[in-house]
Amino acid sequence: MGTTNSMTEIRTAKDRQAGALMVLLIGAQAAQIEPLVSHLSSALPDEDLLIAMPEGSAAEARSGLRFVDLPASKASWMLTAADFAHAHQLAQKNEARSILMLGPEASSLEPEGLARLAGATSNGTADLLLPCYTLPSRAGLVNSAILYPLSRALFANRTRFPLAVDLGVSLRMADRLGAAAQRLVALNQSDVPLWAVSEAMVAGMKIEEVDAGPRTLPQPAEPDLNTILPFVTGSLFSDIEAKAAFWQRARVSPALQRQSGIANSAADGSTEVAPMLEGFRLAYTNLREIWGLVLPPNAMLGLKHLSTIDGAAFRMPEALWARSVFDFLIAYRMRTMNRGHLLGALIPLYLAWVASHINTIAAGEDPERHIEQHAAAFETEKAYLVARWRWPDRFNP
Amino acid sequence: MFNVLAMMIQAQTTETKPPVYTDNASILHHMSDALHQSLYRVLSLLIAVLPGLLAFFVALAVFTLVGMVLSAILRHGLTWVKFDDRLTRYRGSGVDWTPTNSPTAIVARVSFWGCVLLGLVIGVSAFDASYATAASLPISLLPYLTHAVGAILLLIAGALIARFLARSVLIGAVNAQLQYARFLSLGVKWLVLVLTAAMVLDHLEIGGAVVELAFGILFGGIVLTLSLAIGLGSRDLVSRSLESRVERADRNLEVPPPGASGPGETLRHF
Repeated sequence: MGTTNSMTEIRTAKDRQAGALMVLLIGAQAAQIEPLVSHLSSALPDEDLLIAMPEGSAAEARSGLRFVDLPASKASWMLTAADFAHAHQLAQKNEARSILMLGPEASSLEPEGLARLAGATSNGTADLLLPCYTLPSRAGLVNSAILYPLSRALFANRTRFPLAVDLGVSLRMADRLGAAAQRLVALNQSDVPLWAVSEAMVAGMKIEEVDAGPRTLPQPAEPDLNTILPFVTGSLFSDIEAKAAFWQRARVSPALQRQSGIANSAADGSTEVAPMLEGFRLAYTNLREIWGLVLPPNAMLGLKHLSTIDGAAFRMPEALWARSVFDFLIAYRMRTMNRGHLLGALIPLYLAWVASHINTIAAGEDPERHIEQHAAAFETEKAYLVARWRWPDRFNP
Repeated sequence: MFNVLAMMIQAQTTETKPPVYTDNASILHHMSDALHQSLYRVLSLLIAVLPGLLAFFVALAVFTLVGMVLSAILRHGLTWVKFDDRLTRYRGSGVDWTPTNSPTAIVARVSFWGCVLLGLVIGVSAFDASYATAASLPISLLPYLTHAVGAILLLIAGALIARFLARSVLIGAVNAQLQYARFLSLGVKWLVLVLTAAMVLDHLEIGGAVVELAFGILFGGIVLTLSLAIGLGSRDLVSRSLESRVERADRNLEVPPPGASGPGETLRHF
């Protein structure tokens, strides 16, 4: 009897060990680990959790919790290829059944949001679980302007934050992301982001979005838009270029019912808009020749008209912004000019969009509705992108 | 020798009378002789040069054909192994100095023009070697042609670097919202072009010390002028630009609590 009991215990322990939910606390500060572990333990009391923490960190021992060291990687404000590679290696080594990756500043997540994310990952209903954060109206602007609309239009997925800092993956999704990450790490590009949504869509995996509530998104150590925007946008453009065979087939993204990801605030933005519009006009005067290499004449005409508008009346039309981004994507692929120059020339246009967005919010319009309108315009103009992608010689400005 | 002397004496004895040009046929005959002799000299020179010229053109034609074949093989081979896709995918998002055309096209063109250049060099050396050493006009083209080719390459490289740097400065200055962005960009471009021109002239050994001195004075003058303009004339403008940049950086570092919204909330691009 004793032998049977010990064998049962061993079998149960082995089963538990093989099916653990692995949680990676990436970039977590020492003071943030204990609250996170406590919230996770409360959210999943019956779950076997394997917590991977940065080396040298410590947390209070609890039943059902095991701790492993997370290999050190270069500190970053987003999830990088190195993080995905480490996650895959740890999952394989510890035979985890699913992985929850929590990026820097994860302690700012509310316990309920963290519980929803962890629970959805544990249930294994989808291969990729992405959070929908509730952010201030003036946060996550690059995501609202470029990343989300492109991801929605080209990969037919309406996940609000395609470059999420936290996400849950199944083991097979981790395998795919790990393989993609290993290719980048082998090329000494371990600090570039990995686009999980496009990888999942191309592989035909199931994606779900989870309401994660408010969160403080980590910021780059050197918050220089002139460096960060080209880095992130260039990475996305490269990913889109690599997956051209997938997104050129017509697809429609299914409508999602989600709670508004952006909190509305009708604050006056005139003090922020004025320097952005000044910068846009300066850029139009000085970069007109460079933009003319990328944008068609009607887009240049639209920008010329915009450069004459000032103040609260400044609004960038949705179609103009969508086509401009697509034109820059085409120019990126065609190598019309040096890619660093190309993405640098996009910055003033992006700031013009931000100014338009702030004006729209200040006028009382729902920011999420405004972002959805722009994203819908990207879907409408996708045919323009496909035509120019396939037959670039038919139009050459 | 004695015959020549006898002929000379006979010519002298017969030439006691002054010549009387009463016979037009003899004038024409003399002129014709002179023309024939000069034509003969030109043709002799040409015949001496012709083998060298032929060797030059044959070498150039052969290497051009070799270049075309090599270029076609490289283009097909690299397309077959999907060289462009591999390079694009595995270089990730790193922004770098990538040319307008695909890497395959560049490799093919470089190989073609490299073969043409090699043919040119070999053709010139063949021309130089086959030229008769006893000729009255010793011309050695090879060293100067080599310098000329080097000068052309310097000029092309300088122009490309000038354009790249000018565009980099222009975009960077515009994004930094500097009003004098175009002025800065033009200044950088012309500085690089002036430097390139000085290097080309020096390489061609034209002007010697005059070019070096002129370039030194011009370049030093431009740099001194810019320093004085920024240090004295634009002092306030530069300090205001730097202050506004620091303020913007400080604002970006502020972290509002999650879910915060309302007047004065920070603009966060990420």
